[in-house]
Amino acid sequence: MNGKEKITENTSTHEHISSYAEHFGTWVALILLTLMTVFISTFGADLRTLTVATALLIATVKALAVALYFMHLKYDAKIYRAWMIIVMALFVFFLFMVTLDYITR
Amino acid sequence: MSETVVQQPSFFQVKKGLFSWIFTLDHKRIGILYLYSIGFFFLVAAGLGILMRLELLNPGRDFIEAQTYNQVFTLHGVIMIFLFIIPSVPAVFGNFFLPIMLGTDDVAFPRLNLFSWWLYILGALFALSTLVFGDGPADTGWTFYAPYSVKTGTNVTTSVLAAFILGFSSILTGLNFIVTIHRLRTPGMGFNQMPLFAWALYATSWIQLLATPVIGITLLMIVAERVFGIGLFDPSIGGDPILYQHLFWIYSHPAVYIMALPAMGIVSEIIPTFAQRTIFGYKAIAYSSMAIAFVGYFVWGHHMFTSGMSGPAAIVFSIMTFFVAIPTAVKVFNWVATLYKGSIDIQVPLLFALAFIFNFLIGGLTGLVLGALAADVHVHDTYFVVGHFHYVMFGGAGFAFFGALHYWFPKMWGRMYNKKVANTAFALLFIGFNTTYFPMLILGLKGMPRRYYDYLPEFHDLNMLSTFGSWILVTGIIVMVINLFAGGIKGKKASANPWNGITLEWQTASPPPLHNFDKMPELPAGGPYNYPNAKNASH
Amino acid sequence: MADSHTFVLPNSGHNFDAKASKMGMWLFLFTELLLFGGLFLVYIIYRYLNQDAFLLASFELNVWMGTINTIVLLTSSMTIAMAITALQKGNAKLAITLSWLTILAALSFLVIKYFEWSSKFEHGLFPGMDHFDGLPLGERLYFYLYFFMTGLHALHVIVGGVFIAVVIRLIKKEKVTKERYSLLENSGLYWHLVDLIWIYLFPLFYLIH
Repeated sequence: MNGKEKITENTSTHEHISSYAEHFGTWVALILLTLMTVFISTFGADLRTLTVATALLIATVKALAVALYFMHLKYDAKIYRAWMIIVMALFVFFLFMVTLDYITR
Repeated sequence: MSETVVQQPSFFQVKKGLFSWIFTLDHKRIGILYLYSIGFFFLVAAGLGILMRLELLNPGRDFIEAQTYNQVFTLHGVIMIFLFIIPSVPAVFGNFFLPIMLGTDDVAFPRLNLFSWWLYILGALFALSTLVFGDGPADTGWTFYAPYSVKTGTNVTTSVLAAFILGFSSILTGLNFIVTIHRLRTPGMGFNQMPLFAWALYATSWIQLLATPVIGITLLMIVAERVFGIGLFDPSIGGDPILYQHLFWIYSHPAVYIMALPAMGIVSEIIPTFAQRTIFGYKAIAYSSMAIAFVGYFVWGHHMFTSGMSGPAAIVFSIMTFFVAIPTAVKVFNWVATLYKGSIDIQVPLLFALAFIFNFLIGGLTGLVLGALAADVHVHDTYFVVGHFHYVMFGGAGFAFFGALHYWFPKMWGRMYNKKVANTAFALLFIGFNTTYFPMLILGLKGMPRRYYDYLPEFHDLNMLSTFGSWILVTGIIVMVINLFAGGIKGKKASANPWNGITLEWQTASPPPLHNFDKMPELPAGGPYNYPNAKNASH
Repeated sequence: MADSHTFVLPNSGHNFDAKASKMGMWLFLFTELLLFGGLFLVYIIYRYLNQDAFLLASFELNVWMGTINTIVLLTSSMTIAMAITALQKGNAKLAITLSWLTILAALSFLVIKYFEWSSKFEHGLFPGMDHFDGLPLGERLYFYLYFFMTGLHALHVIVGGVFIAVVIRLIKKEKVTKERYSLLENSGLYWHLVDLIWIYLFPLFYLIH
């Protein structure tokens, strides 16, 4: 990029600067969730068929924390959240259609 | 050119020499690099097609062995799909014209753009290397269906890696275009003031971005299975081959919209220019591109009706397939309505656009026959399928590509081809195309299976007709290519706006200067296709 | 190239545009998500078809190593996020230190992964080895997926680490600065993606008892 003319130069991507405390808080939550999911599965509160569902639910909460706080989705332009939702929805739909085939066979 | 006094040198003139081309960051030069590389592979694969038609002239073995024939149709498919039709319009005309039509001087990531072209070349080298090493090119068909693809001794791994690399190149092009459209539109141009070609590319780019990774990973799984014995698809060591088909078509069905949507974008440019009239239903055309891209993700199962997929799933896929026909039909009606009461100037690009509509109608309607569950069981894996997708891909996307070439040729090279010869070439292509492929539809209905080098004697007449057609077709291609080369070298100088178009690319010189515009481009008042002198403007 | 009198459009593609580069990074992350998405899809289908075998096979993995690796990755995600904050606040030195910590975590992750994989090899648990080829098909599928998915993930860890190392160099050269931090931000985004995928890989392979 030669950057000679800088009429629409856009250096900063967003105004918000996340604080160290916020990142640390997110990390604490993530670690607690990790220990919780390991605890549930190993020392098993016997949830039977719900074990996998619980593990995935906790994983999703963790993923949301990473996306919203570490990846700044919460503070970023709306379009990124919208795109993320569309991409996830697309994946869920792929999954739905393929599973439909397998469970009705 | 002479009419303007202070003229910037064109992008051809700023620098010379091989390195100024293969390491260029100029989107126009990259577009032309793509044009030459893609054009080369089109001619190679077309040659392979002619070879197959020649073998099929008579029943029995004419001059190709069964195994060689399998390899020839696989190579024909792989080259045509991954090296020609998927990159064709976006990589050539998208690269060249998207920034100009948006009123900017380059794509958002010029280096990435060059990198995409290099990846394309690397992928092409991989694909070609299968000819030289080992047991020759893959013999699986371009679909690489497991478990055969993990067992055959031919060079499937290299072919698959070629497709992977080419997919990566395609993803990066799509990524570049989306960011370009979001960030670099000229001030005052909102999404709804964009030319329809840009809309079509936007929809296409999203498919490239979100569908290609699925085939990327699937192809890597094939490689892992062949190299490490990670048996994800071979039922004898664990996997399920039907899952491969799912994953393959999750990409490869949306991929046909990667091929078709930009072609539709071109038709949406050509028709208002040669009707000198506002496009009918701008928003309907723009949003139907997005709708096709969206619904197109959900119909892949119609390639698998006979694979052993469950009944309920097949029904859902069949219904979704019928839905995707709606936005496609919306476009066709809008194009026809645009021509109505327009000041039609019949020139070669318009002829190609009209041929696109004609061929695409046949292709699309036969597609519905294939999307209907019961009918598909009858014609699955017959020549009906071959006829159908050549109508869509070649008669549709291919003709639009030729149309774009003739439409933008004066802008790209600043010269005009011989219009009479171009008309002749068009007539040969149109007649040749329909003579080649229409008999295939009938042959398929009669039950001739595809992918065999031999057939029963009762199919002889129609196969002969088809092969004769392929000779007319190839003559048309040769005449067209020679005419275009001649036009580029010694054609009459073209003005900045030979067709009286009003999208932004016609406001700059032919060929454009390095930075595309010498002054701020002016947006046409009242929308991108609002022709000032149109008789029956608006709708 | 051109002389100073050349007209240049205000919306030139050759301008530095941090918003564009971030948008490009996000779009690339979407392709990565769907790349792994394809694998998760395969995992879910095969697990649905072979529930008991997957359960049995999962006992071969060491939950503690997996947990430690999860914590390592989560911590590295925090350090790179903090590195961005540090650079935004103008503390380039701290940003570099935090980035190095991230790379260190990446290396520890790979070392632990290496020990995990080699213990599988010692037990003959790789396609083509005797013990492995005696397993029922369902358990083999589990290990195919285990090796393929964690292998591909490890590859992404390496790429992410190299990316961050390059950015560290650029911070030192002051090419990436308080005003122009988007490259560090992008490397961070990529690193978080690596973390995101592991967040799902971990329960799916280690915790399905």
